[in-house]
Amino acid sequence: MHYISTLIATVIAIVLGMGLAPLLDGISRKVKARLQYRQGPPIVQTFYDLAKLLRMESVLPTESRLFVLAPYIAFASALAAMTTLPIGTIQPLSFTGDIFVFLYVLAMVSISMMLAGFVVPNTYSGIGANREMMLILSIEPVLGMGIGILALLTGSLSLIDIMRGIATLDFYKLLFAIVAYLLLMYAIYVEGGFIPFDVAEAETEILEGPLCEYSGRLLGFFKWALLIKRVVLVWLYSSLIVIPIVTALKLGAYLSFIVTFILQLFLTVVMYVGIAVIEALNARYRIDHVISYNTRVLLVSILIFIVVAVSVYV
Amino acid sequence: MSRSGVVTIDEVLADLKARFGDKIVDIKKLTPNQLEIVTTRDAAPDMALYLIRKYRDCEAHLSNHVATDEREINGHFGVSYWISINAGKGDLWIAVKTYLPPDDPKIKSITPEYPGANWYEREARDVIGIEPEGHPDPRKLVVPDDLPEGVYPLRRDYPHYAKHITEPKYEFKEPEKYEVIVPFGPYHVSLDEPAHFRLYVEGEEIVDVDYRGFYSYRGIEKLAESRLTVKQVPFIAERICGICGFTHSTAYCQAVEAAAEIEVPERAEYIRTIMLEIERLHSHLLWIGIACHLVGFDTGFMHAWRIRERVMWLAERLTGNRKTYGMNVVGGVRRDILEYRRKMVLDTLRELKAEYKSLVDMVLSTRTFVKRCEGVGVLPYDKACAYGTVGPLARGSGRKIDTRKDHPYAAYKYVDFKVPVYTEGDVLARAMVRIEEVWESIWIIEQALDKLPGGPIVAEVRDIPPYREAVGYTEAPRGENVHYVMTGPGNRVYRYRARAATFNNLPAAPEMLKGYTVADAPLIVASIDPCYSCTERVIVVNVKSGEKRVLTQSELVRLSRKKSMRLGL
Repeated sequence: MHYISTLIATVIAIVLGMGLAPLLDGISRKVKARLQYRQGPPIVQTFYDLAKLLRMESVLPTESRLFVLAPYIAFASALAAMTTLPIGTIQPLSFTGDIFVFLYVLAMVSISMMLAGFVVPNTYSGIGANREMMLILSIEPVLGMGIGILALLTGSLSLIDIMRGIATLDFYKLLFAIVAYLLLMYAIYVEGGFIPFDVAEAETEILEGPLCEYSGRLLGFFKWALLIKRVVLVWLYSSLIVIPIVTALKLGAYLSFIVTFILQLFLTVVMYVGIAVIEALNARYRIDHVISYNTRVLLVSILIFIVVAVSVYV
Repeated sequence: MSRSGVVTIDEVLADLKARFGDKIVDIKKLTPNQLEIVTTRDAAPDMALYLIRKYRDCEAHLSNHVATDEREINGHFGVSYWISINAGKGDLWIAVKTYLPPDDPKIKSITPEYPGANWYEREARDVIGIEPEGHPDPRKLVVPDDLPEGVYPLRRDYPHYAKHITEPKYEFKEPEKYEVIVPFGPYHVSLDEPAHFRLYVEGEEIVDVDYRGFYSYRGIEKLAESRLTVKQVPFIAERICGICGFTHSTAYCQAVEAAAEIEVPERAEYIRTIMLEIERLHSHLLWIGIACHLVGFDTGFMHAWRIRERVMWLAERLTGNRKTYGMNVVGGVRRDILEYRRKMVLDTLRELKAEYKSLVDMVLSTRTFVKRCEGVGVLPYDKACAYGTVGPLARGSGRKIDTRKDHPYAAYKYVDFKVPVYTEGDVLARAMVRIEEVWESIWIIEQALDKLPGGPIVAEVRDIPPYREAVGYTEAPRGENVHYVMTGPGNRVYRYRARAATFNNLPAAPEMLKGYTVADAPLIVASIDPCYSCTERVIVVNVKSGEKRVLTQSELVRLSRKKSMRLGL
């Protein structure tokens, strides 16, 4: 029985990731358009775009198999990351240490993008891959630290247990948890590559960097993967907010599942709209700006991590 | 310099006579403010350099450099250096001219000492065959890669229909050991016209830049000299640029008017001024939008262009065209600004002011945008002078020059306006100059409408006397445009040399790019302000029935010809 329910939950997570990503992007485009006094494309436009790209054949600029594999690896990794997040109150792949799996598969999306950029003899791809690398090296640790602090506070290494554990924290630990939430907010925004942090795929500067040489189906999968990655990040954050609250309410199993799921969905859309507004009102940073911000945030997060570790275990 | 600080013709002449003495062959006063000094081949480059250096305080620079093929007149090639005295220190243009024998057309290059002459001398070599001796970078500039050696398209004996197709040949700079080449263009999302910047990069830092452009060199000058009459050229001059075309046709018309001593009616001068400023408004708004887009700030881009649409609409109502107004003719303008339109213009400007203010507030309060522009692409004052940069680029680097103030043309002598100057020399300074110029443009249009005098809009133009020379000049949105015209027999143009502002500004781009990153390159290049074409359209609306009808091309041509005939063209 356990295997079947896991299987069903996994399928739901995958479908949700694949469907939600283009839809949220469509909403984001519409919001930006309205802020710019434009009509904007229909909300399902990103579905049309992806459908068009997936039907088209790709042009291969290199012999390397990695070039062909990279979009699929990115796509699979992004979906795998989605399955380690709680959908409602059910986490399809839940085990002790799943936070590490989550961080690894999430990083795989960026890594496959870097590989794709380095494997083609194109300067713009190279620059884009280079920027992606710098970005990931400086922001992924912040994400890790943020989740790590929460893991320390709740004494668990499984995402759903961490989230539930937050509901039972005492006042002082809750203060630390709030700091961790702020760190995570920054990390998720940067990691998602939203403006002003979209340096790696900057279109007007380096022609979308690693995606520069991609076309057709491969480009479609890459874009889809990047969109799913954004959904994963935002979904993680909305779960971090919703699940502790619903746990504290102590509802019945079915009711809490439904309430959690609706709230997760609602919060994800709200946050996506909020992000779209921030994106519309900002220009892009340069990579050196981004790195200097990230380094500062990283130092702060390491300090907090140490303080938490000391206060919890000593 | 005299006590009032203003340079006069007599003063310049006395000084040159004292210094160069018998080397001066001839002195011609072309127009009240244009002086031509004919000198020997050896003395000409020195004299040009001497003038640029002597009047450095007056922001003097090389404004034009014209090579002429005068073999059928006097058996020689001509070279003239046009130097302008700016900064409000005297409305004066000095041409240093010399003649070269056709079998040995060589002249000393002044580029090693004045880098602003680099492109001018290369162009003279490409199109007429004047060899600059000692030029540090004697590669091709304007002619295509596949034009064979020894073919000079602007010589009079070269037919305008000639074709050459050979193997393309062009040599770029070799990269150093650790440098990576980043090709920025010919086609790049942030370049609106084909131009190739070859960036030599270490990491993300730009260490060297090579430039190859002129991919869209259309030979307009050749066409003007060989196919068209003096009165037809304004229409092709307007098509030099898709964005600031009107300043080009104005510059051309003014050159001919100066050479042929045609007095333009005051009303026409005012109408030209109004249209020039409307053009500046649309051009600057366009630029603000592009700058926002390049740094990923699309909201600023969309709003700037939404506001710009009002200006385009206004231009269409006043001239019939959104762009490429087709208003200028030698001696005046073709279309009057009718009395009832005055209110329409003022109403539009009022709405524009309110919207523009909120746009500027929004753009300048966007921290990420300002951060990207600040301290980027710095062009120091001395470099700005050395390259003879003009327009907002020069004014952003502290050069207090504006052709409208320094050499008042059209109706600018009757109106009051400020010239914003910034000394930081970065992209933000250039942006600020443009942002403030929009306010001045609106103010100029309001004044001009208020003072608009009555009378005719076009002067009667009889035959144009042959072999007269003069320059016409305007302050385009991008800087000073200088058009040189030498009239020929039979109401033709003997030599036409149109120098757009970007010709002076672009050679300074490598200086601005070096030391910055690839991410800054599009913004820095755009901060000079490149141009591109907009479409035009005509719809005739029947006011009573509200019925719309789009004119066909032949109908348009017929109507246009009818109008020209009415004006006696």
